[in-house]
Amino acid sequence: MSATRKENFKNQFKPAYLIGHILLLGIGLILLYPLIFMVLAGFFTKTEFTSTVLSIFPIPKQPTLENFKELIIGSADSSVAMYFRNSVIRTVYNTLWAILTSFLAGYVFARLKFKGREAIFLILLATQMIPGTLAIIPTYLEFARFPFAGGNNPFTGGTGILNSWWVYLIGGPSINIMGTFLVKQSLEKVPLEIDEAAIMDGAGTFRLIFQILFPLQLPIMAFIAITTALGTWNDFITPFFYTTSDNLQTLPAAITRISSVGASPGAVIDYPMIITLSMGITIPALLIFAFFQKYIVQGLANTGIKG
Amino acid sequence: MEKTAGREGRPSFNRRMGRHKDAWIAAVILVPMFLFWLVVSGFPTLFGFALGFFEWIGLADTPNFIWFDNFIDFFKNPVYTDALWRSIWLGGLVTFITLAAGFGAALLMNMPLFGKGFYRSIWYIPAVTATVATTQVFNIFLDTNNGVINNILKAMGKEPIVWQYSVGWGIFWIVVYSVWKGVGGAALIWLAGLQSVDVSLYEAAEIDGAGRLNKLRYVTLPGLKPIATYIVITSLIGAIQIYEQVLFITNGGPYGQTEVLVFRIYRDGFWDFNLGMAGASSLIMALIVMVATVLYYNWSTKSDKRTTIPIKPVIRKGKRGESHVRNAKGEF
Repeated sequence: MSATRKENFKNQFKPAYLIGHILLLGIGLILLYPLIFMVLAGFFTKTEFTSTVLSIFPIPKQPTLENFKELIIGSADSSVAMYFRNSVIRTVYNTLWAILTSFLAGYVFARLKFKGREAIFLILLATQMIPGTLAIIPTYLEFARFPFAGGNNPFTGGTGILNSWWVYLIGGPSINIMGTFLVKQSLEKVPLEIDEAAIMDGAGTFRLIFQILFPLQLPIMAFIAITTALGTWNDFITPFFYTTSDNLQTLPAAITRISSVGASPGAVIDYPMIITLSMGITIPALLIFAFFQKYIVQGLANTGIKG
Repeated sequence: MEKTAGREGRPSFNRRMGRHKDAWIAAVILVPMFLFWLVVSGFPTLFGFALGFFEWIGLADTPNFIWFDNFIDFFKNPVYTDALWRSIWLGGLVTFITLAAGFGAALLMNMPLFGKGFYRSIWYIPAVTATVATTQVFNIFLDTNNGVINNILKAMGKEPIVWQYSVGWGIFWIVVYSVWKGVGGAALIWLAGLQSVDVSLYEAAEIDGAGRLNKLRYVTLPGLKPIATYIVITSLIGAIQIYEQVLFITNGGPYGQTEVLVFRIYRDGFWDFNLGMAGASSLIMALIVMVATVLYYNWSTKSDKRTTIPIKPVIRKGKRGESHVRNAKGEF
């Protein structure tokens, strides 16, 4: 097709193209609408939000930045800033581990020859088929009762490492299997000569991995980092089920606690607080997405084709 | 650097170790990771499978080995069979709507429009938001007293609807939410598939006089087969395990009529402390997901062969005896 930019621009006004634009933009805005509502509602003061009759586009009479302030700086009578901080710590920690483990494991399965390599990799892949929810209760029991954390009895209960930072420290650094798979796939495309040349020049395994191969895989590592970061940021299961004390909660777990799921029956649900916390989860996630959307889109496309 | 030989003609250390060096590095990297994985993932999974064979109610009780009683109970008790059935059809429905809508969107996004990147982004945005947060916005819409939809209904002079007491509406909003969250991702993957279809095939079809619809039917759809396998299977597996939206929008109500199996597992485990039953349900869920994966994979690879086999005899029959077709000896 040798259409010039000008012709191409004219094409945009052909009926078929116009319909395309209208549908994509129109439905796209409808898809964004809940988020628009959330941000608009964030400008309400708490009393005004509960007293006004909510309409499709809620415009506050006296817009306030209190909610945003509470989210970032905190206020005397709420722990929102602390939930935010916990979320950040947990996300950074898990993301670093995901990058490290998936790259190292991917390197091992792509580059090193040893007995049983394929078998181990297949077993790892097969475990991906088992639904994650299966492990929620056993993990709870393991964290609560098994003696590796201080002599609790497996049958008669205990608290173990529940309700401590250990839940987050141990709950993160497993093997990121999907990431391992992606790294393996992409490393296998890097010619072996690069490794050989590096070793010729005196690089050890450590240098080879981190100074030569790792930089070549940055796009795929970015994809793994972003998906892990978003996944951890949005995850409510670990904090909600395995911790109870207030100073360990993350934003999603805090919402779960004050929503209809965690609140005591008959309690009035604190929607203004929920809106504030929801913005705290959603806006950073959107920022992560905005900065790295190129990698997410590429990564999704790649996993799709190889699938 | 590897030396070829030592002073006395003996292979160097590296050379002798060369065959095993890889294994050593692999062990140093993998063993700690694997041990950790066993503790936080492998063991709980196996433990979860084992739980299904025990009766273990309450927190201070000791487990009681009861063979398959939990599994028999599962299929006798309508609470579980209903939840299982609801998981399956709800998952199927969500998958179907998400993939169909996503396919339409992908076709649009595949046109040479200005601002494609922008459209892709805004469609995908719902997927990066937390279920916990965005379901709460839906709840503000559905709130009985001061919810946005009921306010509009009141303004129009109609009776407000108590969404939480209606099974149909509960399911409806779960489906709407799931499609809202999933459609952008589906569109992106379909789009990747559309862009991987060979362009020369379209040109060939155009020369043969194929219109827009015929191109879609004979070039696009067959070209999308590999990606369809991937997206159908992953979406279905994901949708069958939907429970967060159920938890936050209807919380299983009214009277457990919108419960799905994974929600039921959560309830058994954390509300009723019926750990044995939760284990049994999890095991059944895991088996269904695994069997579905394997069956679908086999079917899709087999049907690939089926589409290619009938073409050969047709060519052989039609062109038998003609000079450019190979004979039995492989000569022309």
